[in-house]
Amino acid sequence: MIRLPLGLRAKVVILSLFLLCLPWLGYQYVWEMEKYLRHGQERTLEGTTQALATALHERPRLFDSQASFLSQVEKRKDLYAHPLSGPIQLDGKLDDWEPYRSKAMHYGADMQLMRGSQSSLSFNHMIGRYGNYLYAFFEVTDPTPVYRGRNSLRVDRNDYLAIATLDGSNFFHRYVVATQKDGWVNAFELPADPQLSLPALPEVRIQGQWHTTALGYNIELRIPLEMLGGKISFALHDVNNPKNRELVGITGTSRTDSPDNLGTVLVPSPEIEAIIKGMGHNSARIWVVDRHGRVLARSGDIKNSDSIWTKAIGNERPEGAFEHWVQEYLYPLYYRVLTKPPEDFIDGLQDSTELEGSHIQRALSGKPGSTWRLTPDNKAVVLAAASPIWIDDKVMGAVVAEETTHGIRTLRNRALEKLFNVILTIMSMGTLALFFFASNISSRIRNLRDQAESAIDAQGRVKASISPSQSLDEIGDLSRSLAGMVQRLSQYTHYLENMSSRLGHELRTPVAVVRSSLEHLSMLSLGDDRQKYVDRAQEGVSRLSLILANMSEATRLEESLSQSDKVRFDAKAVIKGCVQGYQITYPGVALALTVDEGDYPLRGVPEYLAQLMDKLISNALEFMTPGTPINISLSHSHKKLKLCVTNQGPLLPEDMAERIFDSMVTVRPPGQDNKPHLGLGLYIARLIAGFHGGDIKAENLAGNDGVRISVSMPLESAL
Amino acid sequence: MKRIAIVEDEAAIRENYKDVLQSHGYLVQTFANRPDAMLAFQTRLPDLAIIDIGLGDEIDGGFTLCQGLRALSPTIPIIFLTARDSDFDTVTGLRLGADDYLSKEVSFPHLLARLAALFRRCEQLKAPATPDNLLTRGHLTIDANRIQVYWRDLPIELTVTEFWMVHALARHPGHVKSRTELMQEAKIYVDDSTITSHVKRIRKKFIAADTEFDCIDTVYGMGYRWDSQSS
Repeated sequence: MIRLPLGLRAKVVILSLFLLCLPWLGYQYVWEMEKYLRHGQERTLEGTTQALATALHERPRLFDSQASFLSQVEKRKDLYAHPLSGPIQLDGKLDDWEPYRSKAMHYGADMQLMRGSQSSLSFNHMIGRYGNYLYAFFEVTDPTPVYRGRNSLRVDRNDYLAIATLDGSNFFHRYVVATQKDGWVNAFELPADPQLSLPALPEVRIQGQWHTTALGYNIELRIPLEMLGGKISFALHDVNNPKNRELVGITGTSRTDSPDNLGTVLVPSPEIEAIIKGMGHNSARIWVVDRHGRVLARSGDIKNSDSIWTKAIGNERPEGAFEHWVQEYLYPLYYRVLTKPPEDFIDGLQDSTELEGSHIQRALSGKPGSTWRLTPDNKAVVLAAASPIWIDDKVMGAVVAEETTHGIRTLRNRALEKLFNVILTIMSMGTLALFFFASNISSRIRNLRDQAESAIDAQGRVKASISPSQSLDEIGDLSRSLAGMVQRLSQYTHYLENMSSRLGHELRTPVAVVRSSLEHLSMLSLGDDRQKYVDRAQEGVSRLSLILANMSEATRLEESLSQSDKVRFDAKAVIKGCVQGYQITYPGVALALTVDEGDYPLRGVPEYLAQLMDKLISNALEFMTPGTPINISLSHSHKKLKLCVTNQGPLLPEDMAERIFDSMVTVRPPGQDNKPHLGLGLYIARLIAGFHGGDIKAENLAGNDGVRISVSMPLESAL
Repeated sequence: MKRIAIVEDEAAIRENYKDVLQSHGYLVQTFANRPDAMLAFQTRLPDLAIIDIGLGDEIDGGFTLCQGLRALSPTIPIIFLTARDSDFDTVTGLRLGADDYLSKEVSFPHLLARLAALFRRCEQLKAPATPDNLLTRGHLTIDANRIQVYWRDLPIELTVTEFWMVHALARHPGHVKSRTELMQEAKIYVDDSTITSHVKRIRKKFIAADTEFDCIDTVYGMGYRWDSQSS
C-alpha cells in the first residue's frame, strides 16, 4: 500500500474532489433532458405537418393532376417553374436570371426531337414563376441564326421557338415565337392541328425579347399563368440555310405536335401558398411537395425559426455586479465546453425545388416521418418532419416542416449555465466549509499532539499537564482522557521520584538504631576477636549512611533548585576557580583548561555550577586511564556556552549515552572499590544543567579512546 | 545534675541515647509521644530537650512540641534529632526556636559535645564574658565560651552548627576551608549542598545585621574563606 504523507486537510480536499461528480451528473441530466426535448420537438413538428396536411386533404384542385398522376417524372421533359423572388426585366440579357442559373438545364444533341445531321443547336433553359406570369429563358448556341424573312407571312421558315400547351380547360394550343430582328417579340398562335402552320395569329399575351449573342441568341419570355394547364413543351426549330430555309433539326423539352407528347409543368400553386402562408408565423419552415418530391409551396425561414424557443426563455440581461461578473468571466469558460448555436449556417435546401429524404419517402408511402440532418457546414442540426396529404386514399404529396435545434440547444445551454453556476457555488462553498472544518480539526489535533509531546520529555519525565478541552466531541474526549492519563502518570512519576527520598528517610531510623547500638557495643570493652566484627558492622553501617545521604542528595538538590534565586554571574570565573581547586586537590592528575576569548555571563547559581563541575570531574577521574590528562574546554557559540570535559578511558556502552544521566544508572564494573555508587553524579549534573536552561550529553571521542561529556547552557545577553 | 528529656517514638534509639547520656552523668527522661512529654514539661521543665520531629502518628509532632516548649520557656535549649534532613525541615525547626538541628547520623561523641556546648552557652550567658576567650576579626567577635557571635557588637543568633562553621572560617582568615573541613569542624556529616545552604543562611543572618557584610568568600571548587579585608 502506498502511504502518502498527507494531512487531514489535504485528505478532505481530495475527498471533496468527489464533488466534481456533481457537474458531470448535472451534465448527464441536462443531456437526457435535451434528448426528451428533441423527442418533443420531433413530435411537435410532426404535429404541425399533420395539421397542415389536414388543411390540404381532399382538395384535388390544388394539385396538378397531370403530373401528380404520373408514376415518375422525367427531368428536362417535365418542367418545374422555380419561384422567382422578383419580376424579370424582358431585355434579352440574362442578368436577372443569375441567381437561378444553377437550376437551368442544358438541352443538346441528346434532346433532339427531329434528328438532323446539320443541326448543331443546343440551348440552356429554365422557367420560373413570379406573380401570375411564367417566365422562361432560352440561351441558344446556334452558329447560324436565321431570322424570319422581312416580308414572309410564314413563321416556320426560320429559327423559331415552338410552344405547345394544354390549357386549364384541356384545350391544346400551339404557339410560335419567331422574329425578323432583335427586340420585342410576341407569339403567334398556330392552329391546333399539328399539320397546319397557318394561319398564324398574333398572341400578344406571350411577350418576350429576342437578342442575338456571339454564340447564337437569347430569348426571354413571359406567359400569363391562366394560359397554362398542367402540360407544356418548348422546342427550338433550327434553320441553317437562309436561301432554302429548310428545317434541319428540332431540339426541345418534348414534342409539340400532340397533347399526348407534352411534358408536364409544375407551377407552385398560389392557392397552397395562400393556405400555408397562414403558417408562416409558425416557428418552422414549411414545404409542400408533390408525390415526386417537387416543391409546390414554401413558407418560413429556417434561420429565424428558433424564435419561439428564445422567446420562451427570455433574454434576461445581467442586473447586479455579481451577475455581470458571472457573465463576464464564467460564461466564456462554460462556452469552451458548450457549443453555441451558430448565428449563420449554410442551408443546403435554401432554394430547392425537389426534396429528398427518408422522412419524405415515408410520408409519400403514407406515414408521418421525421429525420435529423446536419447542415452541409456541420454547424447546425436540422429536424425535418413530413406528413402525407391524402386525396381519395391516394397520397398526393407531403407537408414537410423543418426546424433547427437551436432553440433546444439554447435552452440546454441556459440550463447548463444555471447548473454550472449553482454547482460552482455549492462546490466552492462546500469545499471551503470542508476545508475550514478539516483545518479546525487538524489544528485541534495538532494542538493536542504538541501538548502531548511537550507533556513528557525525552527522558520520560512528565513536564507539563495537558489542559483538557471543553468541547464535547471525540477530540475533546481524547484530550480529556490524555489529560487524565498524563495526570495519573505524573502522580505515579512523582511517587516514583519520591521513592528514593522516602526510602532513604525510612531507612534512616533503623540505621540510626543499628549505629547507636554498635556505638554502645564499641564502648564496651570487647575482645579483639569480637571487636573486629563490631568494626565491620560499623563500616557497613557507615556505607549504608553514605548511600542514604547520596540518595537524598539528588532530592534535596531538586528541592533547593526549585527555591533558588538566580543571579547573574561569570561562568568563566567559576570554572577557572574550580579547575584551580582540582589542580590543588588532585596533584597527580593533569587537568588542562582551555577557555575561548569572551564573556560568559550566566543566570543561575554559581555554587550549583561548581557542583556540576565537581560531578563532571569526579566522573572523569573515576573513568580515566591513569596517567592521561583530563581536558576541560569552555567555548561559546550562538549565544550558548559549551563546556566539555574529556577523559581517556573506557568507552560508553552502546545505547547508554542518554541513560547514564538517569538516576541510579551506572556503567561501572561491579566490585571495583568499596565506595558505594548510586549513579547519581551525572543525574545531578543534568539537574543543574537543566536548571540553567541547558542540556548535557555524552559521546565517545572520535578516536574511540575516551569519552567527552559536554554541557551547553544559554548565555545571558551582554548588558 | 542536668536533666535531659528525650522525646522519640523509636524505642531502640530512645533507649540507646538514654543509655549513653546516662553513662555520661545526665539525668534522662524519655517520652514516646508529644502529649506525654508536654504533660511532663508543664509539671517540670528539663534543662535540655532532644526532640524528634515525627512522633508516632503526628508527622510534625516535634515542631508542635518545640513551639509549646518554647512558649513555656524562652531560654531552654532545644535540639532536634531527626532523620529528616531536608532544608525545609531544618529551616522550619530552627525558626520555631530550636537551638540546634542534628541528623540521626550523628555519633555519640558528637552529640555529647553538642550538649556540652549548649549547656556551656546557657551557663556563660548568665556570667559576664571573659575577654581571654574572645576571638576578634575586624568587626567580628566570637565568644567561644558562650557560643556567641557579635558583628559590630550586635549579637548574631547562630545555631551551634553555624557557630562552629563561622568559628572555623574566622580562626584563620584568608585560608580556604573545604566543605569537608567545615563538616569536621562543625561535627556534622551532611552532603555538600547542605554545607552550601548553611553558609547561605549564615550570610543571610549577618546581612540582616549589616547590609554591607561581605566577609564569607566562596572559592568555587574548593570551599570558603573568611575575608577580613573586605569588611
